[in-house]
Amino acid sequence: MADEQKQGQEASAAAPRAEGAPSGAPSGAPSGGGHGGSHGGPGGGHSGPRREGGREGGPRREGGPGGGPGGPRRGKRQYFRKKKVCKFCVEKMDLIDYKRADILSQFVQERGKILPRRMTGVCARHQRWLGVAIKRARNIALLPFAGSAAGSTAPRAVEAQKS
Amino acid sequence: MEERLYDLIFIARPATPEDEIKKVVTSIEHACTEKGGKIEKAEHWGTRKLAYKVAKHREGMYYYHQIRTNHGELITELERRLRVQDSVIKYMTIRLDEDLKRQKKLTDKREKRAARRPRRPAATPAAPAAPAPEQQAAAS
Repeated sequence: MADEQKQGQEASAAAPRAEGAPSGAPSGAPSGGGHGGSHGGPGGGHSGPRREGGREGGPRREGGPGGGPGGPRRGKRQYFRKKKVCKFCVEKMDLIDYKRADILSQFVQERGKILPRRMTGVCARHQRWLGVAIKRARNIALLPFAGSAAGSTAPRAVEAQKS
Repeated sequence: MEERLYDLIFIARPATPEDEIKKVVTSIEHACTEKGGKIEKAEHWGTRKLAYKVAKHREGMYYYHQIRTNHGELITELERRLRVQDSVIKYMTIRLDEDLKRQKKLTDKREKRAARRPRRPAATPAAPAAPAPEQQAAAS
């Protein structure tokens, strides 16, 4: 449908995600075009075709690198996904340099773990390359295996193994 | 064997005197000239904080070389020499040419696609149809 195609394009619409929470009523209807207006109280009603059902597995993943709008946040089921598209695809970066620890550290947790794709919005191909680059950087001590990226603050047992 | 490109990074102890480093670098250069390799780049990144303790040091002096060679044994020889040195606490060699080839291929494909693209919106009449081939092309 034209509605869903348009929704897939404006992936920056955060409104559908935000206003899904207050509307606790399970909206089974996939097409949110008609019903979107009535639930527009709390969230911004700027985007016309609003989608409330998170059940559609197909259209949500449309487009190669696009993260897609997240499903409704329903309390327990935290379905938040970064609404932005893959950063590397946008910048057209074909080679992820392991020497750039500043870029790589954006995709790494505080504790040094690699962030999953659903948090960062990276596409599958770049996530693979990112993993390779991060592991190389870890080997050359540009990124930590575990612990804060700022370096060792307090002596930990993990670090003693590395020396 | 075709030409290969390697990245060689080694970390020296923090307070290593200049001539020690010079010794290491000259031994690298000698090995390259003996075995037939060319040093494309040689950089010194200075003293950096390490992400974890290496040989009980928290900082290290980073040196980076980019080497182009036809002989794979050169790398073995270089690593052997680095291992022998006391001042070098960590080293890593990475082979780069496959990655660069892939990067070049993707860049070329993207440029070709961009050159073709101006024709597409004129060809496809409806708006929904245009994003679909675009996204497919971006995904491929």
